[in-house]
This record gives sequence, C-alpha cells and structure tokens, in this order.
Amino acid sequence: MAEKQVNSQLEQFSYDDGIVRKFFFATVLWGAVAFLVGVIIALQMANWKFNFGLQWITFGRLRPLHTNAAIFAFAGNAVFAGIYYSSQRLLKARMFSDLLSCIHFWGWQLIIVSAALTLPFGITVGKEYAELEWPIDIGITVIWVVFAVNFFGTIFRRRERHIYVAIWFYIATIVTVAILHIVNSINLPVSIWKSYPIYAGVQDALVQWWYGHNAVAFFLTTPFLGLMYYFMPKAAGKPVYSYRLSIVHFWALVFLYIWAGPHHLLYTSLPDWAQTLGSVFSVVLIAPSWGGMINGLLTLRGAWHRVREEPVLKFFVAGVTFYGMSTFEGPMMSIKSVNLLAHYTDWIIAHVHGGALGWNGFMTFGMLYWLVPKLWKTKLYSTALANAHFWLGLFGIVLYMLSMWAAGITQGLMLRGLDPTGHLLYPDFVETVTKIAPLFWIRLIGGLMFFTGFLLMIYNLIKSISGAEAAEAVVHSEPRLSPAPAIGVKPGESPHRIIEGLPAIFTVLTVVAVLVASAMSLLPALLSEDLVEANPAFKPYSALELQGRDLYVREGCYLCHSQMIRPTHAETLRYGPASLSQESMYDHPFQWGSKRTGPDLARVGGKYPDLWHFRHMMDPREVVANSIMPTYPWLYSQKTDFGVLQKKLSVMKSIGVPYTAEEIEKAEPNAREQAKRIAEGLSASGVNVDIADKEIVALISYLQKLGRDYRNMTAAPGGAK
Amino acid sequence: MSDDKEKLLDHLYDGIQELDNRLPAWWVGLFYLTIAWAVGYFYYYNIGSGPTLGQELREEQNQWALIQAKNPTAAGGGADEEAVLAAVIKDESRIKHGKEMFATKCLACHGPLGGGGIGPNLTDNFWIHGSKPTQIANIIRTGVNDKGMPPWGPLLKPEEVHSLVAFVKSLKGTNPPGAKAPQGNEEK
Repeated sequence: MAEKQVNSQLEQFSYDDGIVRKFFFATVLWGAVAFLVGVIIALQMANWKFNFGLQWITFGRLRPLHTNAAIFAFAGNAVFAGIYYSSQRLLKARMFSDLLSCIHFWGWQLIIVSAALTLPFGITVGKEYAELEWPIDIGITVIWVVFAVNFFGTIFRRRERHIYVAIWFYIATIVTVAILHIVNSINLPVSIWKSYPIYAGVQDALVQWWYGHNAVAFFLTTPFLGLMYYFMPKAAGKPVYSYRLSIVHFWALVFLYIWAGPHHLLYTSLPDWAQTLGSVFSVVLIAPSWGGMINGLLTLRGAWHRVREEPVLKFFVAGVTFYGMSTFEGPMMSIKSVNLLAHYTDWIIAHVHGGALGWNGFMTFGMLYWLVPKLWKTKLYSTALANAHFWLGLFGIVLYMLSMWAAGITQGLMLRGLDPTGHLLYPDFVETVTKIAPLFWIRLIGGLMFFTGFLLMIYNLIKSISGAEAAEAVVHSEPRLSPAPAIGVKPGESPHRIIEGLPAIFTVLTVVAVLVASAMSLLPALLSEDLVEANPAFKPYSALELQGRDLYVREGCYLCHSQMIRPTHAETLRYGPASLSQESMYDHPFQWGSKRTGPDLARVGGKYPDLWHFRHMMDPREVVANSIMPTYPWLYSQKTDFGVLQKKLSVMKSIGVPYTAEEIEKAEPNAREQAKRIAEGLSASGVNVDIADKEIVALISYLQKLGRDYRNMTAAPGGAK
Repeated sequence: MSDDKEKLLDHLYDGIQELDNRLPAWWVGLFYLTIAWAVGYFYYYNIGSGPTLGQELREEQNQWALIQAKNPTAAGGGADEEAVLAAVIKDESRIKHGKEMFATKCLACHGPLGGGGIGPNLTDNFWIHGSKPTQIANIIRTGVNDKGMPPWGPLLKPEEVHSLVAFVKSLKGTNPPGAKAPQGNEEK
C-alpha cells in the first residue's frame, strides 16, 4: 500500500480515489434506474394500463423498487462516494483498508441487485423503506458494519487531530442507521423469502415510523449535510459561515430528529400524547434544520456572482434551498389540523419529492459535476449542458410539486367535504380520484423533465470522462499524530473542541443522544397500558385469511389503501367508526398505509359480497366505474400455497398471536375447507370455474375479515361501546 | 474576506476554513419560540383543557346531530316519510335523478337495468325485505350487512335516497334481458 514511514516525523500516503470513482459510477447508474422506475409508476398512476397486465411491474410491486432505488441505491451510493472522497482528505489518511472499501462497494451493489430481483416478485416484508426480506437485511447489516469499521479505522489512523463538522455528520449517519435498521428489521423467518416482523399493529406502526422518519433524517439528511459542509466551501472557495452554528445545529438535529416519527401517525389509534409528542418535536426541528441551510447559504457570501456562472454552485444553492423548504413544510404538516388535510394525500408525495429530487438529487448532481475534474484528468465537457440540466431539473421539480400539492389539497378537501345537513359532498371515493387524475399527467411531465435533465448529465459525464485518464494519486507527507490525545483547548476556543479531538468520545456521545431520544420516544408508548387494551372480540386471522393477507402485502395493496379510519366525522361517515388499536393487534406487519389512492379498507369486510370482490380484482371498472386501480388477473390462475400455512401459523404463534395447537396442526385442512366454502358461494352466484385453490379466494377471505370482528362486537348485545 | 471583523478560526481542513460568527439572533429566537410553542401545544392537548381526539370527534358528531335534530328529514326516515315518498315516486324528475345515481352506485351489483347480478333482481314482484317505498328507503339507508348491501345512509342525502326509491319502484315489470331468478316473497 502507499503508506510507508519515511522517518519518525513524516509519513507518506496517498488517497484512494479508485473507490470514489466506483461509487461515482454506481450513483449515476442507479439514479437512472430509480428515476426511470419513478417515471413508469407515474405513468401507471395516470393510466392504469401501463403495467401491460404484467404482475412484476404492477404499481404495488414497482413502487417499493422506486423508493428503495432512489434512497438506498442512488442516494446511498452518492453518500458513499462523497464520504470516501471527503473523509480521506479531512482526516489526512487513506481509507483504513482498501479491501474493506472494495467489500463495501460490491456488497452494497449486491444488496441493490437483490432488491431489484426480489421486489418485482412481491418478496417484501410490507413495511415502507424496510421492504427487503431478512436475508438481504442481514446483508445490509454486514456491509454497514464493514463500512463502519473502514470509516472508524480511518479516523483512528487520521493525521488531523480534530474532526471537522462533515465528519460529525458522517459519524451520526453510520451509528444511527445501524441502530434504526437493526431494531426495525427484527423479523422471524417462515422461509428463505418470507418473514414476519415481531412487532404488531400499533407497536409495529410506532417502530416503523421511528425508523421511516429517521431514515429520512439519517440516510437522506445528515450525510448530505456532511457532504454540504465539505463540497460547498470547497466549490465556493469561502470559509464556512459559523462554526458555532455547526455545533448547535448538529447536536440539536441529532437529538431532536429521533422524536418526530409519530407525526406519520397523527389521527390514528396511537395514544394521543404520543402523537402530540411527534407534532411538537417536528416543529422544534425547524431551527436546527435551518441551521444547516443558513450555514450553507451564508458560506456563499461574496461568491454569489459565481453562482451565475458555475453549475456546481447552482445545484448546491437550489439543493440547500429545497432543504430549507422541506424542513419548514414537514413541521407544518405535523401540526394536527394541517395533517388532518394533508395525510394520506398527494401532498405527502409533493413533500418527499421536494426533499428527494431537490435536496438529495441536486446536492448529488452538484457533487458529481464538481468531482469530474478531480477524479479524472479532464474538465467538464459542457457547462451549457450542465446549466440546461439544472433548469430542466428545477422546472421539473416545480411542476411535480405544484401538481401534487394541488392534487393533495383538492382530494383532501373533497374527502372531508360536508353539505349543510352533515352529509358527505362526495360520497363516492372514486369521484375524488377522477377529479385529480389530470394532475397525474402533469406530474409525469415534471418527472420526465427531471429525468431528461439527468440524461443530459450522463451524456455530459460520458463526454467528459471518455478517453480521460484517472487522476494520478498524489503522494502526501504528513506527520503522524502523537498517540497521546491532546486534551484541552486554546484560550478563546469552544470547549466543544475537546471532543472534536476525541472521536471515540464524540461517537459515544452521539450514540447516547440517539439512544436516549429513541428510548424516551418509543418505550413509554410501547410499554403503556393503554396502547392495546386486550379484547377477546378481536380474533386472529384464519389460516386462509393469513395467506390472503400475505398476498395483500405481496401485491403492495398498502401503497394505495389505508387500514386506519381516522377519528373525524367525515371519515366515520365514509368508512364507519374510527379504528381501534385492537383491530390491528395481530397484524405482523401493520398495514395502516400512508397514502390513499383508493379508499380505506379497515372495515371493507362484509361491505360487499364475495362476488363483488371476485369481479373487482379481475377488472375494478366492472364494479366501480372510472376506477384507476390496475387489474389482477394472475390471482385467478396462481394457486394458493396451502402447504406453508402450518409453518406460518406456528411462526405467528411464536411472536404472540394466540393460535391453539389444533389450529396450527389443522392449518392446511382448515384453509382448504374455508376456500371451498367461498368457492361454493361464488359458484352459486354464477362463477363457473373451480377456483377454490386459487389465490383470489384467499385474498377475498382476507378482505372479508377486515372489520368483521368489530362488526360482530358492536352487533352483540351490550357489545357496542 | 467579506467582513474583516469576522473571526477566522485557525482550523484548516483540506483547505476549508471556518468563521466563528455568532448564531443569528433571529435563528436563536425562532428556536426558542418553537420550543415555547411545543411546550404550550403539548400542555394544552395532553395536560390542560384541550380536547382529546375522541372528544374532538364526539363534539363534531354532536354538532351535526343537533343540526339534523332541528331538521328531522335531514337524517331521513321522518314521521311523514310515507307521504313524502308517495309524491316522490310519481315525480318524473325524481325518477330521472334516481336513475343517474343508480348508474354510479347500484349498477355494479343490481345490473344496469336493475335485473340483478351480485345483488337481487329489482324488476320482478319478489322482495326479500319488502316492497313498500319506506321499506326500500330503509334498506338503502341501513344496508344488509351479511348480504353485502352497504349502508348508504351515511353517504347519501335523504332526497337522494328518495329519488333512488322512485327509480327502483319505476323498474317493476320491466323484465330486462338476463334478469336474475326471483328471491324473497312475492308481493303484488
């Protein structure tokens, strides 16, 4: 390796930029995949026919592929490229181990490929952004540990006494993502590609959104802030505006972000106080988030004239501005009254894309353009093309967000609209969808513009790099750090400087902040007596219903349908009395959903006859005119896997679902019996094919179970609350 | 340097320098303000007199119940419904109104011409739950749970239910092609 000791004072070393180039290419490749799949599912929203009747590319299966590709493949590789480039320079040390760098790179790509090869087949846990099944989860854990060892090893070997703010953010990212991923992915396997989360219902919801929200915080925010702190001052040639602000906003962000997860669960059956905590911590996050924006934008003082000429700075300025907007919009949407309108609508979609395309996308693009002449002996092929990319991307995002804001607010208002006598103004859910369908086309145009800009970048990068040699590794000479840590600060220096010189202590403090916040925000609710009041009226799923539920998860139904009737007058008129926490107490995983492109299904059981569902899944428009739901013809030819049910029930029992030994023993015959009854009923109403062993019957049994126990409880004498 | 009074720290990381500017006053103010708001908001809703989500819902439902109590027909099924319906079922404009709603809400189960399908035939003389206008109105409002007829009462206005009754009554004897076999009791 390039390190060798010249004398006792100076060491010679060089940086590993080969690994940065690898992550650079991976970022571009997976970005193309993520955006292309995004465009495809946007097209499917505008017109349901665009899955061409193929189950593998139906919306419910492609949507997780889109989100996983955007977050873990595109943003993930961008983060790694940026971290590997900047950390070596900020720490004045080559990465700890070239082998670990290599394992990290190829391991991560393997995880992405596994995701791309499983999600289209409906292999999913059914929890948003944590869809990947347990073998891949284990792979993620291993590769993340490899990354952590490599990163902390580099810190250990550093030749810079103090760690710079970018490194603080990288540390927070690495330790927190590990904690989030492990805690939320504790699933018990049924088979190699099927597992159930150990949490159920409201607990699963709480853990999932602690994870989901903080994935945004620690996978899409803190690492990008770290990148900003490196690449922004480098590109602008200006000092960072305020070191003190860095300190305050770093610690505030790390501690406060963790608490905000329950803002995804407002107006649900989560206890009120836990919901309110989520709301207030979200609002308190505005200033810490804006601390990063201020430090970024004010770093450009005196360099604003260069923003006009330099595409890199344009992307950074717009990216940081989108960050500021998103971190204001998010807290506003966490206030109960705003959330009541925004939740479950396209407003959320607008919000996340402001963050993903504007902040993560533009910061990444700026970084890639900046890195080209550093990583290769070349210069950017065309500034004009990069500028065109910027403007196309910017207008694409604006079009995207405006259309989805309009769609979300329109649908939100229609869904709760009441006439003067207290009746729903739009009783048919589908009316609210057909109203906003034209906006799905506008969104598609916005997405296409963003994608086109990205393709211009690819062309520009290829033209810049092709034929160019990789930049030669420069050999640096630096003294090694004395092993004794220098504790203490110079006069006038902040005491924070002490822990900047002690990265181990710094890391421990970060972990403590994250763990304390996690424990305080999760444990009281998880241990609270009133979380789920036991009620014998609510029974576990029968074996066939459980199998149907797994199909519901496989097809990604939860991505368009919620199972949570919120406690408002309009919702209770539309769907029935507000959902109780007991109703999902056996739901591993919970399926409350986060978006309603279709109506809530918490009480759909018994609302329609089996024949209705039979026709509906074949072609929704047969029973709901103007429905935009795709067709599911494969459910009518694929056979139900009855053989696995005994195993499934016994796994469910081991995570707390009270199945009797007999129910487990007889899982298969019981399921066949129930399927036969449903098929006979269908046959009596004119269905002339034998379908008892087909998947559609299992799905129907599950849909008919939804809300059945609640109805029986309220129908029983003295049962109504 | 844009402002030479600013203090440049002697940190240098790969050429990056840091200034030691004070925290912007408005930023600090905003931070304190949101913390104060958070304390107040939490106190109001979870310790003080603010309503719980359940109370909010009951309050909202009570308000609507009051409005509907003042205007009995608003909820449907008022004492004079029989008389109201007797007039409505003869009103051609109401039958037409009912037909429009039938096409979006009932067609899927009762067939485009009311001949039945998933649900029973509405054009013959056989009725499972009675053929009187008030009986039909009640079934539309409350549904038939175990048969999969959804309750439309929470979704439709009383006059919409009445128009549907008028349309259904107008179907008698139309005998559309492919009509479902009779179910229930014959009523002349």
